[in-house]
Amino acid sequence: MGVTILVPYPLEKKTGPEVIEDLAKRLLAMQATPAGQFLVDGDIFDNPTMNKTKIHVMHNSEYPASVFSILDNGQKQIPLITDLIFDLLMLKVSPTYQSKKSLKIESKGPRYELGDFLIKLGSVTMSQNQNFKGILIEVDYRPCLVPALCWDLMREFMQGFLGQHAPTTVPAYFTTNIPMNPVQHFQRYNDTYQPIDTVQQYLEHFNNFRKQTQAPMMMTPRN
Amino acid sequence: MSSENQPTAAMDSLLQALQVNIIPNQEYLLQGSILDTQVQRLLHRLKGLCDNVETAPEQFFDYEVCFSLRAPMNEQTLQMQQAPPPLLLRVRRSNDPADSHMPFQLRYIGNPELGDAKRPTLVRASFDISCSPSIIDFLTEMGCRMEFEYTVKGYLFRKGRMKITVSKIFKAMNMNQEPLSQSYLVELSVLAPSGSDAVAEDMRVFAEKLKPLVILEKIDYKRLATVPYD
Repeated sequence: MGVTILVPYPLEKKTGPEVIEDLAKRLLAMQATPAGQFLVDGDIFDNPTMNKTKIHVMHNSEYPASVFSILDNGQKQIPLITDLIFDLLMLKVSPTYQSKKSLKIESKGPRYELGDFLIKLGSVTMSQNQNFKGILIEVDYRPCLVPALCWDLMREFMQGFLGQHAPTTVPAYFTTNIPMNPVQHFQRYNDTYQPIDTVQQYLEHFNNFRKQTQAPMMMTPRN
Repeated sequence: MSSENQPTAAMDSLLQALQVNIIPNQEYLLQGSILDTQVQRLLHRLKGLCDNVETAPEQFFDYEVCFSLRAPMNEQTLQMQQAPPPLLLRVRRSNDPADSHMPFQLRYIGNPELGDAKRPTLVRASFDISCSPSIIDFLTEMGCRMEFEYTVKGYLFRKGRMKITVSKIFKAMNMNQEPLSQSYLVELSVLAPSGSDAVAEDMRVFAEKLKPLVILEKIDYKRLATVPYD
């Protein structure tokens, strides 16, 4: 657990597996060690009678005993962290809330460790057909808990590894004020980072991918 | 990067766990009550019978609120001219400031099955889920309606897998703590994976040991619903 920054990576006329391979080679050249695989998935449940209310139910293999749910009613988001059994409960609410199988999305791929950093190269696929949607790279700096204290270091690291595609400014997720929440009156940039923050960043990017109607430049099925 | 260490999707591993019966989703339950004047005797008896003999019984002071979620009317239910029963969800948290860091508990309880006279306990589906405090806002925004709330204060004993609670129910959030009745609720329960019927027999034997102080029985809620209130 530390501070995590999630960045989309453009394909630039290459296929998904090619880009992942390039990045993996770059990481290995930097003496990173492979550290297994990861998987983050997101499901949407919606209620036909309450059009705007959606429940996003997400899992992160980094926290295998938890379910992260985010209820979005169009005005605000309510995050909820629960045990895994919550998934069984979501099956029970099926007459009211139904899972949209076609919008189920996941990001998975290899993990690498490099000193205090953890890097995950994720290929994003949607629905049961595993339609390839793009690439998300997760960079985790583990010794620190406050984004403001390690952003410069992380930016420098990402520039070394992602080159011109590295973010140069703090991602908007950390700098937007959180409305409707009197407890969090300041920005997430200065707040203690929590696992739900990783999941919320994934949700933002997943929603962008879901909205994307056109396939990425070079559409390739995985495997 | 072999495919062997590929993490499985959380839902798949959960369904797999359900198939091999390792998820505790059934509650075996016996209930009874005892008058306030006699409760000390029962507590002494439980202290002798239960596992935590050296220490005083664990005390708890919880707040519970029950929400209902009604399914929307569709063609099928309109034809039947009756709404499907609502889904009931209970949220419980400790009122004790020392437990303020503890997670809230979300609980789903299914329809109780009484079975025939040979079955020693009531059995009902039950999911106990630890969750973050945002659960109340979450359920409200989901469209759940608050049905009732109360606070409950009492003692918790353990005997092997069995949980015994002796507790008193109060009207919720009342400064004077107005009790609902002059008696304590006694519950003997085990949360176990489905198919653990052997535990029901242990519970029957234990309940025998508490007689005649308290008679623990399978309580039929449907019968209670027809009893008029005072």
